[in-house]
Parts: sequence; structure tokens; C-alpha cells
Amino acid sequence: MPIYKRDIKESEKARSTLIGFVFFLLSVVALFAPDPSQDQVASFLRGTALRPFVLAQEGLVRRSIHAEDTEVLQTRLDSLAAVIMNRNTLSEENGRLRRLLELSERNQDQYVAASVIRSGSPGSASMFGIDVGTRDGVARDSPVIMGRGLLGVVREAQATSATAMDWTHPQFWASAMTEDGSIYGFVQATHGRFREADRLLLDGIPFHQELEPGVVVVTSGLGGVYPRGIQIGVVIEESSAQEGWVRSYWLRPFVSPGEATQVLVLVPREKEQADTTLSGSDAPIQELERATGTIRPGASDTEASTPQ
Amino acid sequence: MKSPLRVWGVVGVLILLHFILHLSLGLGESAPDLLVVALLVAAREGGIGSGAGLGFLLGLLDDAFSVLAFGANTFAMTLVGMGGSRTRDLFVGDSLFFLASYLVLGKWMRDLLHWVAVGEGLRGSFVDTMLIQAPISAVYAGLVGLFVIAIGGLGWETVR
Repeated sequence: MPIYKRDIKESEKARSTLIGFVFFLLSVVALFAPDPSQDQVASFLRGTALRPFVLAQEGLVRRSIHAEDTEVLQTRLDSLAAVIMNRNTLSEENGRLRRLLELSERNQDQYVAASVIRSGSPGSASMFGIDVGTRDGVARDSPVIMGRGLLGVVREAQATSATAMDWTHPQFWASAMTEDGSIYGFVQATHGRFREADRLLLDGIPFHQELEPGVVVVTSGLGGVYPRGIQIGVVIEESSAQEGWVRSYWLRPFVSPGEATQVLVLVPREKEQADTTLSGSDAPIQELERATGTIRPGASDTEASTPQ
Repeated sequence: MKSPLRVWGVVGVLILLHFILHLSLGLGESAPDLLVVALLVAAREGGIGSGAGLGFLLGLLDDAFSVLAFGANTFAMTLVGMGGSRTRDLFVGDSLFFLASYLVLGKWMRDLLHWVAVGEGLRGSFVDTMLIQAPISAVYAGLVGLFVIAIGGLGWETVR
């Protein structure tokens, strides 16, 4: 009898080891599976098992925004209104000049406001989720902007949410130029010893061109991912790591990924519906959104209208 | 008194707590890695198959937000689950030193496997990641794990 019991125990152990080996193989398959399959699994998990946790974070972010001091919000609104007022004359002048030069109307950028969701899991340090998706016009490679500058880019978009990477990600890069458009290069992330020491490096500047500290660097529009003119950062100093006949410069980015709670996502123009009718109590808000090219997620098609 | 139900109950609570702290509250790295603590606790109670299975599932959940390094957490957690289960056959006892070492080394090993699996393009330097950051988070997870074992009534008396 004892021998028989030992046999059962041994066979159970062998079966358990076999199951373990199968899971190990599955983990290797998960690691080397093609990107679309990995995206599907990740998207499924975010939409099912992890959905309650994501919704809870969205709720908390919204609460924290509602709790923000109304005086601060009023100040921001006043500043924005002042900017819009000043822009009216320039827009009119620009339109007149374009008509004189027989140029077509310039397409305005359009943005969707979104809340940032961070998972905090290992390997997702430079990634973040946003609570808008393809239904709001967000697509892969949509630029994500916060406050004064570029925060990152959308990597994957589902119906109501998307995953994006910020500028600290090793795979982030953007074609860039100086604000006056005279010098071109490209910007990439460089890791510091710790995350707080992550910086941006402006590379590929021709050797005969020098940049002074304080020069503002913006996206150049080359490459087709980022539109021209989004602010990236300001030149701090020249990098000592030079290769060949090019210079590189350290940049201080305008935005810090750790501070991101509310962002704007640039959406393609196809999403837009041309209706500029203002009505009801939302009219001033709609006007402000149109003037700044910002629409709220979930806003109706009539609200998502052409910026003036 | 330790019972399978109690152990799996504690493991369930740890998993839930991990996602509440990391995802819902967005605490990130300031919160301990409770998934690996849950896995290491569960792995001592089951066989290699159940350890690997739980590690696989928890790793997949952890990977749901790491689009560019998908699978690295799954790979690391599956191997840690298997290794944790194997320690039951190799080491008998529940001394405080053993449990602390088990939890700390388990977490450090998980970070090491993740660092290897992530690939060259995405990982930081070995010295910074594995010799500075990983030991700190391993000790953090180990302390929290000992606390959980003590208050969870998992029957490992020496921790009390």
C-alpha cells in the first residue's frame, strides 16, 4: 500500500510539473507573440478584469479636478479669454493676407480633452492610459499635449480608451526645429540614473549651426506624426557626446510627465463635423472650445465643430 | 490556524489591494509590489503547476498596461511562481530569516527576470535597475510580506 500511495504522489507531482512547464511555454509565447495579438490580449484585460480599477481612477481624477480651487480655474479662464481676444485681430489679418496671396484656408488643429490613468506596474513607467478612444477620434500616433508642450504620443487606441507613451520612453522621438524654423534636428529621450533625471536630447544639428541656451525647440512637422509648432522644450546646454559633424543639445522639456492629470489629444480632422451653431447655456463654453480647438470627450457632433 | 481557504483569501485580498493602490489610486512605485508577495505566499502552498498558473495570470494582468514590453511580467511571474513552489521541496521551515530571504530574493529575482525579458532597447542600466532600485523595492515588498503573514494568520508562527 505505501508503494501505491507513493506512486500516486509521484504522478501528481509529475503532472504538476508538466502543467508548470506548459504555463512557462505560454509565457514565452506571450513574450514573443506578434504585436497585434499582444495588443488584443492587453486591451481585453484592460476592458474586463482591470476595468473596475481603471474606472475608479477615472472617478478619483474627476473628483480631484472638481475639488480644484475655482479661483485658479477662473484665472486660467480669464487668461485664455485674453489670448483669444488678442488672436481675433491676428486671425482676421492672417485670413486677409491668405486671401490676397490666394492661399486656401489653413486647417486648424482639433483636440480632445482627456484624463490620464497610470497603472504603476513594472514596465509601464513611461506609459499612461487616457479615457478617450477611437469614438472620440483618437487614433494611433495622435500627439498628446499638456499645458505648454508635447507630452507624448498615443500607441494604441480602443473604443473608449487609449494607451500612450510620454517623452521619457526610450522609443520616443520627434522631428524638431527651432521656433523660428531655421535649424532642424530630432529629439529623443535619454535616461538619467533615476526617472527624475530623464532628459531630452536634441540631436542631428549640423556642426556649423550653434544654439544658444534658452532657444525654444518645437515640432517641425516632418515625419507626419506631430504637427508643426508644438513646443517641446528649451535648450539648456550643448551635449558633450558629439558624433561626427553634428551637434547635440540637452533640452529642458516644457512638461513633466509626473504632473500629467489632464491632457489634450490631437485628433484627425475627419472626426470633425462642421456646425458652428451656438445655443443654450453651453454657448460660451462651446465658443471657447471652438476658439481653442478643444472638444470635450462625449460631446455631441454639433459641439465638435470647426475652430474659428 | 493556517488553512488553504485562509491562504487563498489573503492572496485574493493582496491582489485586490495591489490593483487598488497601483491602478485606482495611481500610487505607482511608492506602493509595494503586492502581486509578487501574493504569488510567493501562494506558491509555498501549491505545486509547480498552480504556482506557474497563478504567476502567469498575475503577470498578464501586470502586462496589460505595458504595451511595448508585453509578456515580460508574465514571463517573470511564471518563473517566480514555479521557483516559489520548488522551494517547498528544497527548504523546510518557516524561520523569520528564511521567510524574509524568500520574499526579498523572490521579488529581486522577479525584477531581474523582468529586466532580462524586457530587452535591450527598453531597460535601464543593470547597476541602477538591479543593484540600486530593485533591492530597495525587494526589501520594501519583503517587509510588507512579513507583515501580511503575521497579521494574516497564515500559521507561520515565527513571524509573530
